Formats: sequence, structure tokens, C-alpha cells
Amino acid sequence: MTRALTWIGLALFLLLILVPFWWIASMSFKTYEQIQFATSIYVPKPFTWENYTGLWMETRFPLWLRNSLVTALVVTLVTSVVASLGGYAVARLRFPGREAVASLILILYLIPPALLFIPLYRVLTELGATNHLAALFLAYPTFTVPFCTWLLIGFFKALPEELEEAALIDGAGRVTAFVRVLLPLAAPGLVASAIFAFTLSWNEFLYALVFIQDETLITVPVGLNLLIYGDVFHWGQLMAASVITTVPVVALYVFIHRWMAEGLVAGSVKG
Amino acid sequence: MRQRFGGSLGARGRETGTALLFLLPLFVLVVGLIFYPFYRAIWLSLTDKLVGYPERFVGMRNYTYLAQDDAFQQVIWNSVVFTVASVALKVVTGLGMALVLNNVIRGRNFLRGLFLLPWITSTVIIALTWRWMFDAFPGRGFLNSFLLDMGLLSQPIAFMATPAGAMSAVVIANWWRAFPFFGVSFLAGMVSIPRELYEAASVDGAGSGRRFWHITLPGLKHVIIVTTLLSFILTINDFNIIYVMTRGGPGTATQVFATYSYQVAFGQLRWGRGVTISIFVVPILVAGIILISRYLLRDRR
Amino acid sequence: MSQRHTTRRAVLAGALGTTAALGLPRLGFPQVKKGTSLRMWILKTYVEPTNKAIEASAQRWAQKHGASVTVEYFTFEDMQTKYVAAIESKSTPDVGQLETGAPARFAGMGQLLDLTSFSRQIEGSAGKAPANVAPVTMLDGKVYSVPWYVMGAFWYVWRDAFDKAKVKLPGTFAEAKEAAQALTRPKDNFYGMGQSWNRTADGYGVMQSLMYSYGVGWADKNGKYKSIKTKEMQAVMKWATDIYTKQVQPADTLTWTGSGNNENFIAKNIAQTSNGPSITFALENALAKATDAKDKKMKEEALANHVALPHLGGPDGRRMQAIAMSMGVFKGSKDPEAAMSLIAHLVSPEETVMVMKDSYGQFAPVLEKAKAASKDYFNKNENYRTFGRAAEWFAPTGWPGPVTAAAAEVQASNVLTDAPAKVIVDKWSVDQAIEWEDKKIKEIYDTLKG
Repeated sequence: MTRALTWIGLALFLLLILVPFWWIASMSFKTYEQIQFATSIYVPKPFTWENYTGLWMETRFPLWLRNSLVTALVVTLVTSVVASLGGYAVARLRFPGREAVASLILILYLIPPALLFIPLYRVLTELGATNHLAALFLAYPTFTVPFCTWLLIGFFKALPEELEEAALIDGAGRVTAFVRVLLPLAAPGLVASAIFAFTLSWNEFLYALVFIQDETLITVPVGLNLLIYGDVFHWGQLMAASVITTVPVVALYVFIHRWMAEGLVAGSVKG
Repeated sequence: MRQRFGGSLGARGRETGTALLFLLPLFVLVVGLIFYPFYRAIWLSLTDKLVGYPERFVGMRNYTYLAQDDAFQQVIWNSVVFTVASVALKVVTGLGMALVLNNVIRGRNFLRGLFLLPWITSTVIIALTWRWMFDAFPGRGFLNSFLLDMGLLSQPIAFMATPAGAMSAVVIANWWRAFPFFGVSFLAGMVSIPRELYEAASVDGAGSGRRFWHITLPGLKHVIIVTTLLSFILTINDFNIIYVMTRGGPGTATQVFATYSYQVAFGQLRWGRGVTISIFVVPILVAGIILISRYLLRDRR
Repeated sequence: MSQRHTTRRAVLAGALGTTAALGLPRLGFPQVKKGTSLRMWILKTYVEPTNKAIEASAQRWAQKHGASVTVEYFTFEDMQTKYVAAIESKSTPDVGQLETGAPARFAGMGQLLDLTSFSRQIEGSAGKAPANVAPVTMLDGKVYSVPWYVMGAFWYVWRDAFDKAKVKLPGTFAEAKEAAQALTRPKDNFYGMGQSWNRTADGYGVMQSLMYSYGVGWADKNGKYKSIKTKEMQAVMKWATDIYTKQVQPADTLTWTGSGNNENFIAKNIAQTSNGPSITFALENALAKATDAKDKKMKEEALANHVALPHLGGPDGRRMQAIAMSMGVFKGSKDPEAAMSLIAHLVSPEETVMVMKDSYGQFAPVLEKAKAASKDYFNKNENYRTFGRAAEWFAPTGWPGPVTAAAAEVQASNVLTDAPAKVIVDKWSVDQAIEWEDKKIKEIYDTLKG
């Protein structure tokens, strides 16, 4: 019974996710004419690589890709450190004003980036960080950190306190207990939060658009926007860009998950 | 044990010190890059700030203007419908996805990565793709072409012709993009529920439905609450999907906080009013958040 | 002393009051210091060769003067956001390409340098702009930018659809509506028209052309608010809503965004639509990529079959609201003289024609001499002859008055297209919708100072 349901569910979810993505992928292999004149719907006929070669050779896509990757990785790292420290403190330590801190994190997160970005832009100008990827390294944590901190508060709370207490009794300090015991146990949470931070940075558009003007420093979403002219879309190249940017990341996620799962098992055996 | 819970002042003090140390990076970020801009946003909402001109304090004028603005009333309604519908869909399908993946042993990691495709794909592309899905013309619109070719339809359906249709379309696109994240978060929560609980329940003769209701759901409580709450915030501020798919149309049928605020602030250049549109939503959310964070923190032990 | 004998140097001194006071050297045409570097913002259009041509033109200037130019692009989509952010963070470029409403808005904010004297100099070297286009660059009698070209809108039709149904090609909005009724065949999924009242230039631009051609303006000749509660406006609203209620358009037309009408026209789902020359560009491009003889013949037929008519007229004439592009110098510029020199270079007849030749008809020069030099190019065929006349029918936002910040805001507030949508979607009466629209417009004029 459960098995049958699982398989049906799996099939449904696969369809749901793959059909639109099939559309994206197939469009990326269609010629401009096929798309514009609606000559073939489901499969590219004739099949062409022209969107990929065009994207790679005629635009600065390789540079955009590099910029996006660097930005997303740096931001994910910064976010993971700041958020896990903060999340742990709020979840596990007792200090005056803890509730206020927790609420504050979330309230600040409420302000839509569209409103923060002008004042933020001013701050960055004063720091001399605009028109450089550093602007994004500084700006993106403003929306990744509050979310990830909150996510991690939940994960740290869900962990059994006894493990940490045992470590403390064994004479470990707070910091050691945190690094050695709690972090590995919170790995699924850390992965979820890292995925979140990575993806938000990877997809961010507004800050990247405004903070960076130099066309060699823009990120993929802003570059994609250059393929949309309001009236006319470079459909094939847009879709090719989205295939190129998603497939490696999915592969990365698959890899990270395996690695994380193994680490988790090892950790629990030791514990 | 006593060291931690005994309430000795020294231990409490040490814990506060550690907390300060741990929270320091967060505070630097918050004060420098969030607090100041946030303060500016509040201040701007109390002024008649026009782009390119110095602002003048006007008190609550922007707020009273919006309270009487018929366009804004529709925006509030649209935002609520859009947000509640897509978040509810995300929770349900996210739970379904987590349950399915939790039962799959072989290839789970691969599937988990694959299922994240929508979440990684650029929002703009997703919005454009769903426009093609719902396009009314056979040969262009994927759904219409498919349904016609299967003989399930004789005439194409103009999915996005009506206000309700357009709203459904943007809800679906927003949901499709984000439900995998729910699924992955819920799955992480499910994995961390101790096996013994299920085993004990099985011994007691509980069926899978009961086990889900009495063990899985309570075990996921925190994750569900946090994910839902934060997705609610993300969704109510969503801009890209609606901007790309409908521009708020037909008419003002899908105009929401973010798109309306953008139009007023960047099209009409009225920053004071534009900021106020976004701030309007804050007090309601703050109330909800304080309640929920109280609950989460109280629940600690 | 006669104006005519004023030396270039004196003219420049006027243009650069502040710099003159600082005693910077000015010799002849705007002087460029060696090694100076400028930032220029231009519109990235769908015609990639145009972008390349403008960039190349700017580089020619840089080489000539031993200076450097960094060209940064904006698109229609992000134009407003980028300028707004730049203005508020004080990081405006030296030279910026400005659309119809921008000079009045930015000059009102004190962002643009007064180019009154410099523009007179340009008139001497490149000629004047037509009387209907020139006011776009002005505010309160001063000139803030140099007009360059008009990116017009045209009424695209498929000739064979009209021939088959024995319907005459339309010249007015009324004729277009009648034709649409005759051409619509819902069973074949073919519709007589595709005109969306959406939040893009394809929506508010056409709405303004419709209003102005019926003699309806929400401002008077001086740019002051004027009521639109008139008989003519009722006729405008009737046209705007009839095309929906009579079902001569695809059911989801109102939800289309930017590319909807282009693509549906090219796919031959609709017989008529208003658009810039991008449709012609797409069809020419398709022909160029034709794979075999049969394919080529088909593409040639499609190209010959599509007609770009002058934008529709109304009882009060033919007025087309469109994008009039001009070049301005921002006050924040560290080297305004070099900025002006760059503009003079770009708008010169030779350089303008070079850029225009790579534009597929979207770039209709407006300065006399450049216009004269563009004759041959636009003589290519009937469609191009129409493109070349874009400036003739041009009417600025806020017609019959000059472009003002308030007029630009009326366009940006989307009330122009939300009003017919209220009738179509929310089933308001036409009078109710006009009443609502008028109230919103008045409010904008009442609350906007400066």
C-alpha cells in the first residue's frame, strides 16, 4: 500500500517538475524560427546548439557565470557562519533579551529589498564598495542571514540537549561543544540553510542590477535581463542560460547531499 | 547539569558572554546593513519624498492617502489571496514530497537534488516558462497544445483571460518554484525524528496514517512553522513572478504590494508613498511573528 | 552685437557658466582634455547591431580625442530603476540617453546641465529638430538635451488576411475596428486585432495615440491639468472597450505583456497590432537564416506580406505617442565639456547615419541634416518609407502641452490603461471609468510640485 502510494507520488512529482523543465530544455535547443513561428512544440526539430554557442561566444555569459558563482559561494559561506553562530545562541543559550533578538531578526527580514536597496546603496557608496562584487558580498547577507538564522534556530532546538550536556560534563567548553557536537548533528539544517542562501544569491536581481554597472562584473540574472528587450526576447539563449546555470547546481546538490548523509551517519556512530 | 541549569549568577553571566560573542557578527550585519536602511525606510514613509528632491516631513499623510486609495485596497486583497493560496499549496505539496522521498531508499539523494530544479532556476525564466504553459494559442501554449492533441479539448482555453485565471497562473508559478524547498526542509526534519518513536508506535499497532498524524507532524512542527512563516514573508513580497507574467494585469487583478510599490516608487517617483505601501504590511506581520517567536522560545524545554 | 556672430567660444561660455567661472580653458568646440574618461548610458535595444554601432561611434570619438568612454547599457525594463538609483546615490553617468519623459523629469530635479547654448551650436552643425519633437528636450524655455532619433510605433497588418476578406487596409482607429470584426475567425483561432491595455509602451503608448488622435488631452497647451470628461473621451473609451467586448481579439489579450503582440502577430494569430519596427527586424532576420529554397520562399512571402502602416488616425488627426530619444549631460559630470563634445560627435549627420544603417528602421533621425542624409536608407521599401516618417506624427506625453513631470507621472501611474480595464474586467460603465481616471489625473497634478 505505502509502496504503491510512494511510486504514484514519485511519478506525479517527477512529472510536475520535469514537464516545465523539459519545456525549458527543449526550447534551448530550438532555432529562433521554431520558437517565433511556433513550428515545433514538444521537441526541437531541427535540433540546434546555436543558442549555447551564441550565448557562450556572443555574450559575456562565461563572465556572468563566474561572477554569480563567486558571489553565491562567498555569501553562502558568510551566511552559514553568521547564521549558525546566531541560531545556536538564540536556541541554546540563556541571556537577557533573547526573545527580543529573535523577534528583531525576523522583523528586519520583513522589509522588502526593494525599499532597503537605495539606503543600502548609499552605505555601500560610502564604503567605496559599489561597482564591485564586494557590494553583493555585503548586501546579500542582509536577506540570507535573517532567514537562515531562523531556520537554524529551529534545527538547533530539535536536537536532543543531552548530547551537548554530556559534552559539557566531559569538560568541553561551549565553543567546543558547538563545533564538535552540535554542528555535525545540525548538518541537514546547515545544508538546507546553505542551499537557501546559495539559491537566493544565485537568483538575486535587484541589488545586482543597481549596485553593479560594469558589464564584466554583472551576475547571471542581470545578464539574462539583457536578453529581454521588453518587446523581443532571445528565448533560445534565455533558456540555454537557465539550463547551463541549473544543471551543474543540481549535480552539486546531489553530491553534497550524499556527502552530508555519510557524514551524518559517521557522526552518529561515533556519538 | 547544575552548572547550566542551577541558576548560579556566574554561569548565567558566562552564558551571556558566549551569547554576545556568538551574536556579534549578526549584530554588525544587522546594525550596519539592515538597521540603518530600515530606519531610512520608516523615515521616508513619513515624508513626501520624490526622487531627485529633498524630502519634507508630512506626518501620516501617506498612510491616510493609501487608506482611502481604491487601488491599494485591491492590492491588499490580491496580496492576501496570492500569498495564502500559494503558501498553503506549498505546505501540502512539500509534505507530500517529503513523505514520498522519505519512503524512497535507493536514489533518494539523486531525487532530492533533481526535485530542487525549480528552486534553482532563475525566477524570471520560471515566470516566462509558465506564461508559455498557459498561452492560449495551440502550437504556442504547452497545456493547450497537449490537451488538444490528446483530444481532451476541442477549443483552446484562454487560461489567463480572466482575473481569477491570471491569479491562479501566478499562484501556480510561485508555488512551483518554492515547494521543493519546503519538501527538502520537511525531509530534513523527518530524518531527524528518532526511529524508535515509529518502532514503538508500530508495536502498539498504529497504522501509517496515525503514525503520520501523531509522530511525523508533531516532529515537524518547528520546521513547518518556521518555513511557512518565512515563505509567507517571501511570497507577500514577491515581485518577479507577477511582474514578468502579468505586470499586475489584467487591469489590476494581480497587482500586489511589491508590484504596486515598485510602480509608485520607480514609475511615479513617489518614494514616500512607495515605501509606505511596503510598510503597511509590517505591523500585521510583526504581530504574528511576535506571537510565533514567543511560542517557539517558550517551547524550548 | 548680433547673435549670429557670436563665436563658438562665447556660446560655450554661456553653456558652461560654472566652468567658465572656474576659468577652465575653452577653445572652439567643446574642449576635451587628453586622458579624460566618460561614462555613457545608452539603451540596449533588441537590434544588437545598433548597440554595437553606437558603442563603435563612441569609441571613434574617444580615439580622436585621446579620451576613453565606458558604455553602460540599460534596457526598457530597467531604464527607470537604474536612473532613479543613480540619481539618489549621486552616481549618474556623464552622458545619458533619455526617453520622451526623462528630460523634463530629470531637469526638474536639477540633474541635467542646461544645454541651451550648446543646442544652438548643434542646430548650426546638425540642424534643427521638428517643432513637435523639440519640446521634449525643454523645460521652462531651457534646453536640457539634444534630440537624436524617434523610435516610432506603427500599425502592423497582414496584407493577405485583408485581401482575402476584401477589406481595405485601415487608416483610422474606426476602420481598424471594423476590419477586425470582418477578419476574426474564432474557430480557426485567428483574430482581427491584438491590442493590450497593459503596463508597457504597447499599452499606454497606444492609448495616448488613440486619445490624442481623437483630440483628447489631459493637459492644456501650457501643460496645466484639463478635464477629460468630454464626448471625445467617451468615444475613445468606446473604441478601447469595444475591441474587447465585441471579441475581435484573443480572450487573454489584456494579460499580455511586452512580447505578446509581437509574437502573436508573427505567428499569424492576429491580423493587426501596434508595434515598433521589431516585427520587421524579426521577419528580415528569419529570412536571412532561411535553410533551403522552399523555406526562403516562405520567409520572403511573409516579409512581403506584412505591412507597417502609419499609426492609426482619428477624427482630430494622426498623432503617435512614441519614444523620442535625446542625449543629456548630467550635472554630476566631472567633465561636461568632453560630455558635450561626445554628444556633438554622436548626433553629427555622419555618425547618426552610420548607427541608423544598423538599426532595421527603428532609428528615425530627427535633426534636419541627419534626416536629409537618411533619405536613401528609408527608400528601401514602403515599410521603411513609413518608418522614416516616424517623427512627423510624433506627439509627446501630455499633448497638446509640453512634456511635464506630471504628464510623465500620469503615464507611469497606468491610469490611462487601467480605466478601460475597469470597464472590460470589472464591468464599470464608461462614464464611471472616465470619472475615476479624471480624478486620479487631477490628483497627480494637484500633488506634484515642480
